[in-house]
Parts: sequence; structure tokens; C-alpha cells
Amino acid sequence: MYALTEEGIKYLKHGLPEKRLIELLKENNGLLMRDATKELGGEFAIALQWCKKYKCITVTDGKLALAGDMPRETKHQESALKEIAAGREPDPDVLQILIQRKLVEKESEGIVKQAEKFVGKEITNLNTELIKTGMWRKVKLRPYNVEAHGKKIYIGKQQPYNRFLRSVRRKLVEMGFQEMKGPTVELEFWNFDALFQPQNHPSRDWTQTYSLKSPKEGTLPEKVLVEKVKATHENGWTTGSIGWGYKWDPAKAARLMPRAHGTALSARTLANGPTIPGRYFAVSRCYRPDIIDMTHGVEFNQTEGIVIDESLNFKNLLGVLKEFAVEFANAEKVKFLSDYYPFTEPSVQMSAKHPQLGWVELGGAGIFREELTKPLGVDVPVIAWGLGIDRLAMFKLGINDIRNLFSQNLDWLRKQVIV
Amino acid sequence: MPKIDVSQKDLCNLIGRKLSAEQLGDEVLFAKAELDEANGDALKIDVKDTNRPDLWSAEGVAREIRAKYKPGMLKYDVRKSSFVVNVEKSVEAVRPYTACAVVKGLKINDTVMSQLLQLQEKVAGTFGRNRREVAIGVYDLSRIKFPITYKAISPEGIKFIPLDYKDKMTPKEILEKHPKGKEFGHLLAGKSMYPIFIDFEGEVLSVPPIINSDHSGKVTEKTTDIFIECSGFDKKFLYTALNVLVAAMHERGGIIYGVKVVYGKNSSITPDLTPKKFRVSVDYINKVSGLDLNVKDVIKLLEKSLYGATIKGKNIELSYPAYRQDLMHERDVVEDVLIAYGFNKIESVIPKLITKGGVSKEQYFVQNVSDIMIGTGFQEILSYTLTNVENIFQKMETKGEAVELEKPMSANWSVFRAWLLPGILEFLSKNKHVEYPHSVFEVGNTILRDNSSTRAKDVTKLAAAVSATTVNYETISSYLDALLKNLGIEYILRKNTHPSFAEGRSAEIVSGGKQLGIIGEIHPAVLNNWTLEKPVVAFEIDLEEVFELLRKK
Repeated sequence: MYALTEEGIKYLKHGLPEKRLIELLKENNGLLMRDATKELGGEFAIALQWCKKYKCITVTDGKLALAGDMPRETKHQESALKEIAAGREPDPDVLQILIQRKLVEKESEGIVKQAEKFVGKEITNLNTELIKTGMWRKVKLRPYNVEAHGKKIYIGKQQPYNRFLRSVRRKLVEMGFQEMKGPTVELEFWNFDALFQPQNHPSRDWTQTYSLKSPKEGTLPEKVLVEKVKATHENGWTTGSIGWGYKWDPAKAARLMPRAHGTALSARTLANGPTIPGRYFAVSRCYRPDIIDMTHGVEFNQTEGIVIDESLNFKNLLGVLKEFAVEFANAEKVKFLSDYYPFTEPSVQMSAKHPQLGWVELGGAGIFREELTKPLGVDVPVIAWGLGIDRLAMFKLGINDIRNLFSQNLDWLRKQVIV
Repeated sequence: MPKIDVSQKDLCNLIGRKLSAEQLGDEVLFAKAELDEANGDALKIDVKDTNRPDLWSAEGVAREIRAKYKPGMLKYDVRKSSFVVNVEKSVEAVRPYTACAVVKGLKINDTVMSQLLQLQEKVAGTFGRNRREVAIGVYDLSRIKFPITYKAISPEGIKFIPLDYKDKMTPKEILEKHPKGKEFGHLLAGKSMYPIFIDFEGEVLSVPPIINSDHSGKVTEKTTDIFIECSGFDKKFLYTALNVLVAAMHERGGIIYGVKVVYGKNSSITPDLTPKKFRVSVDYINKVSGLDLNVKDVIKLLEKSLYGATIKGKNIELSYPAYRQDLMHERDVVEDVLIAYGFNKIESVIPKLITKGGVSKEQYFVQNVSDIMIGTGFQEILSYTLTNVENIFQKMETKGEAVELEKPMSANWSVFRAWLLPGILEFLSKNKHVEYPHSVFEVGNTILRDNSSTRAKDVTKLAAAVSATTVNYETISSYLDALLKNLGIEYILRKNTHPSFAEGRSAEIVSGGKQLGIIGEIHPAVLNNWTLEKPVVAFEIDLEEVFELLRKK
């Protein structure tokens, strides 16, 4: 509610200054400003300002002359003053002007009246009037069933598997790892050849990979690099190896495929001149033609990376894995098993004793072969590692079907606890 | 990778020690293997090394374990004989080479039989690339009259009874009717001549790489003496395969005899089991391993891995069994040394390297975008990047060209998504029974064709949608406004038409002269295509473009 200010009450009684000036001139056109001031006192300045605005008077040589009728605005403002005095709401636009003119203000005395209505009663909700006037002391708040649970609301939330992966990324960054980037659609060159996987050998079947129908073929990187990789496959080049001993085919290396493992990113990183010492990682989406079941989704994320330094050896390889076991699985105990990857030697697989899951295959690692690192321009040892992160994610999210990491169930997503 | 079935009793006999399944679980690590399952006497062993076919049998695993107790190089004696296989020039165009052996004095029982069959299958299957590189035939020696001829004949040039059949068939008929013919026939597809092993009396031994004859190609428990041939295109592969097989038979008491394989004027005796040579330096072993081994330690460990080792200055001269073909670099020897040493006896040392961790600026930006969307009350979802043409184009009433897989596992996942909105609508269509309103978003990778070296690029996008009984353009435009204002992006909305959106209810999102994306009410036809029943309003923006704008600022 609104109420008239003192000034407002005065104008309600005597009329707005501009109205009084106009009426004065109606009787006495050509009045001197000096005389008008005598008549209207302090209100003359206000009156003049508004009349000028409405362009209903002119001033020449200190003489005031009427130039139009009583403005509509003036009439509206006066009737609005009456409305307010009668306790009614006037037109909001006019009200705004009156508030600006400080003729009207929000009712403060009215609050008391409002509040008084509640006195002695039992109320459901507290309100501004009761709080401001202190009359809350004279009302009783109706007791609620405070033990009832609130109405369900659904909040904005991160997808739980994404949340988990974000925490993995954060942890790896804390451990000094830089994130690597690379394309989803990859040349066989980076997915296989640069990793010293021969073009016609079961190891290339071992990864069981897709190829592309369209587009089919890409462009190989610069010739110098391609020649080194070719020579290494064919005869070992200068890597100290005898090589695979076959004719390497650039056309096969130029074929396109969806990335089958994150190691393709490591190969690109090594070829791009990495920082030494360096730690790199990637959580990368990978694609293999697996039969889709509880343990194989349409696609999957691989978490893997490399550690590069002149000083690294097999003891460090075990150290890297053990550190992961502690950081990611809270495992104190680990077991190392021999393993095979075409691009690392020696290769190790690690089982870690998870406090709840027991022994789990947590990851594998190896030292990249010279046949891989040297053609890419890296002459120091490179430890490559991979982590079985999805197993831990499934445990953390309480699911036993890997496909649910990409859950399409909104109800399930809404109910997921944030862990 | 190759998984093999073995009998625990048999394995222990071959090793020469009685070991429990648990003990074997530790011991098989020496053969780069893992004990997957122990079910009574039946063990399942996973041999990791795809480059060591010599380990893919009970005989091979046992040999490796036994060496830890009885170290040192194994010598194989190849006895002289008068067995001859003549290779005719006609096979050059089909399957040019063979390597053969005779093994006598075998004691074959059920277990031995199944091990030999399993090894043969693994070697021809995995190592021999499903018989393409290496096909193996094993025959009852007593049914063969030497010399044998290996030649090519016309597909209908001869008739014989194939293994496990009763009637005589031509090779052509075998390819059409016999199960093995159907399975491996593609390896001879388009050939005008088929290879054949045939003996002095004109009895067919086999048509490689398809099938043996019933006459001699059947080995039973009564068989003591056998003839083996491997055929293919690369002698290196064939020699390795043959050596692996005869070395395994040697474990079963077999005595190996050489066979003279004659190619016109040239001939060679196979198998050649002369030990192969290699050289390593102790310094290199210590550098890679981080251990501090002296020459004597190294030699001891090498002998436990079946190497013969002699000191030569700072180096060690190695000899190793001819069935191995995996040594390419000194590094390969280091691993054998470490396995013999025992991985779990080696101290693990966390590398003390000072490196700076971090994710890319793009990654931080993308995380900020997700945070804003979550702040506006949207649920994040995660979908596969693989989808199908119907979803990304047809159901959206649009057309386009996506990156497409060759031989997808399922037509449902055969192309890469070019935009995210179809995935959002698919998600909504699967949740019609779930309480409305639905406010969901996804930030994810799309794969678009371009002219780069991989002919495709990854583009991160954001799509968001609201579906409820009453939603309209204003609902979604205020969320878009909240997102872009909070990223500090000034933008305009420019009226457009798009087949996925209702007429007069969609706009391009434009900033800095670039089109960032699209916003609007989903076209009712599209809703019908997805069987959605409530209106959906949505936007999709290219986050790479947004990031680029912010980078320029």
C-alpha cells in the first residue's frame, strides 16, 4: 500500500503547483514572474518546471503567458492523489511519477494496520508486517509436521561417470601429468606402425580394430618420419634391432580407423617433441569391435600415459604402477605379473589389493621399445602405462554392467548419490 | 593372449615336480602366462606373449618352468634320414613353400593327443593367421610311401576321401561341401590350381591349407611315428612353426628326423634346430633393469631362461633354441632376465621427476560450461559417439554425410555423431515414463569430416533441451542467455529455418560474425519420429567457436 507524503497531502488540499500557476494565469495572463513568485512562494519554481515540460506556458521578458490548456498529466496526477488518499491503487505509471516527485511513498504506518489483523491469531506463515512491527510476539505460529520429508526436487547434476573421470584427471594432474590430445579418427600409422606393430602379424589382430568405410584413407606425416618407421619395421634402422623383416606398405599405414587405444596419443606426443623429464596422460575414447555385453560397451575410455626421462628403468616402471595402486585403489599390496604388449619390453601387469574388491587387475605398463621411441625422435627411456579405471568406476557407482556407465535412464541419474 | 587348456597332472609330469594349482599359478609367470582357472585337473592358462608360439602348449609352459630347476640350453638332435619331399614349380603361384619333419617313437595318449591338436590349432590359427601364413598337416608315417611330392593340380584333377568323410571328392567338391572346405576355402579363392601333398603311390596326403586325407591324415593313440608338414609363403614363419611343433613332440619322447625338401636344384634339410645366436651387454641389462647384476648373475638368470651363455669381453654371447623367433633387440633378452629374476623380488622406485601437471585451457573451459549448465538445473548425460544415420539425419528430418565404420558390429552403431541433439532426443524418448520436466544437456565430442590428414576432426559441442507439458522458445532462450552471459559472450539471435525445428520458432546464435549454433522448438514431425509426446525446446552450440571467441578477447 501507498500513502501521501506531507507534500502530497498539501497538494491534495491546494492543488498541484503547476495547476495553481495555470489557474493564476487564466485569471491574469501576462503576469510578471516576480508577482507569480509572491503568489506561489517556493512552489513557483516547481510549477514553472512542470509547465515548461508540458509546454503550456511561455516566458518573455519576465512575463508569463499561457500557451495551452490544463495538461492531461496534471489532471491524472491529481486524481491519483485522491485515489491513494482513499486507499486505492492508482494507475501504476502515474504512481511511479508521484513516487519520483516524492508525493507518495510506500505506506509505513499502514503496516501496523496490516499487522494488527493477525494479532491474537494462529498463523501459517510469518510475514514482513509481523516481523517489521514486532507484532510477531502477539501471534502464534501453527506447528508444522516438521518430521515429514520435503517435496522432491531434481537438481542439476554432473553425469556420475563423467564426475568420476574428472576426479581421475584431477588426480593425475596433481601427480604432475599433462593431458594429451589427439583425433578420434586416426591413421593406422599412429595407431599401429609408429608403435612398431608389424602390418601382417597377429599382434595387429590382437587389438581387433575397426576400419573406416568413409573416409578411407588419410595423409601420412612428413616423409622423414615415415622413412624412419619404414626402415625400423623392415630392418631395425639404427635402433639396434633386426626389425620384423618384411616389406612395409605405406598405403596400409595411411588407412584410417577409429582410435583403438590411447597409445596412439602417446606416439603423437613423442613425435611432437615432449618435455623431458615429462609426464603425460589421456583419458581417451577408444573403439574395438567387441561383442557388446556386461563387460564390453559400444566404446570405452582408456586411461593411459607416459613418463619420460633419461634416468628411468624397470624399478621405476614398478614404482609408477605402485603409486597408481595407492592413489587410485588405496591398495597397499601389489603383485606384478609378466605381460606382453607389442610395443613395450619389458612389460608388466599389476594386480592390486583393493580394500573392498580384493585383488584386481589394475593396470599394466612397460618400457617402450627403442624401435618405437627412436624413429619418433626420443632417445631416452619412456615408461608407458595404462589403468583399468572403468572397473573402479563401476565399483564406485555401484553398477555391474559396464554399459550403465553411459546410462540412458534419467531416473537412475537423478537418484545417483554424488560421490 | 592365447588361452590353452592343460591337465595339471600332465603339466606336473612334464615339469618333473608335483605342484599344487596355487604353486603352478606362481610358476606359470615364468612362461609369461597366468593361471585363469583351475577346475579339478583341468587348468586354463592364458599365455600373454603373442610372439612366442613355443609357449602355447603344456609342453612349452612346462619346459620354461622346468628350466628354473634345471637351467641351461636344451639341445635338439635332428637325425639323418632318407625322407624326401619334392616341391614342384607349379606351387609357386599358390602356396610356394613347405617345411617338413618326421618324428618317431611318440607315446600318444588322450592327453598328448589333445595337446598336440591344440598346439597345431593355435600355431596355424594365431601365429599362422588362420592358416593363411602357416597351414599344418600331421600324418601317420606308416601310411605314407616316400618320396612325397608337393605340387599344384587342377581343382578337379584328383579324387580322394577327405578326413572324417566316407566318399571320394575332388578338391573343388571339398571346398563346396566339406565343413573345413567352407571355412578355409577363401584362402584358395580365385586360384586355378590347388596345392596338394601326394605320396609315391599316388595317395593324397592333403590339400593345404584346407584338409588332410582320410588315408594318412589321421593320427590316433596307436600312432608312434608321424610326418609333419607346414606350408605357406614365408620360410621364416614355416620354420618357426615346424620347430615349435617338433620341440613339443620332443617333450613327449619323440625322436626327430630331418626331411630333405627339394626345390629343383636347391634343397634343404628341415627342421633346422641349430641354436640361434644373439649378443647382449651386462651394462645394457643393468641400465634397463635398474639392477646391479654382475656377469655371473646374468649368466645364471639366462640359463634359467634356456639360453646358453658365454662371456665375450663386456658382452655375453648367447645361443637360444631355434623355436624362438621373437628376439629382435637386446631389450627382449632383458625381459627374460627379469622374469627369471622374479618381478616381485625387484624393489619399486617412484621416479623423482619434477614435472608440471595440467589439462588444456580448452578442457578447463569445457568444464566451466558444464558447471554453468548444472547451475541452471540441468542434468548432464553421457552418450556414445557412435550412432546411426537414421538417428542423426532421418529422424531429425535433415541430410548429411557422417564418418562411417567399415563392418560395424551392429547397424545401430555404424557412424560417428555429427551433432549432439539427436542423442538428447533419443535419451528423452527413453525416459517418457520419468517425471517431467526433463532438463538435460550433454557436452561431448562430435566427429566431422574435413580436409586434415585424418579427413575428420573432433569438435566439442554442447546440446541442451527442456521437455515438459508447456515449454516454448522463451523457456530455452533464457537458459541460453544465462549460459552465454555467464561466459561473457555478447550474441544476437537471428531468425532462421531448420528442418529439425518448428517454422518461426528457431534462430541462429551469432557472435563476432560467427554462427555458434542453433536454438528453437523441435519440429513436431521430429517429435513424432522419436515418438516423443511432449514439446521439446533445445539449443546446440559449437564450443570450439565459443572458445575461439573467448581466446581472442
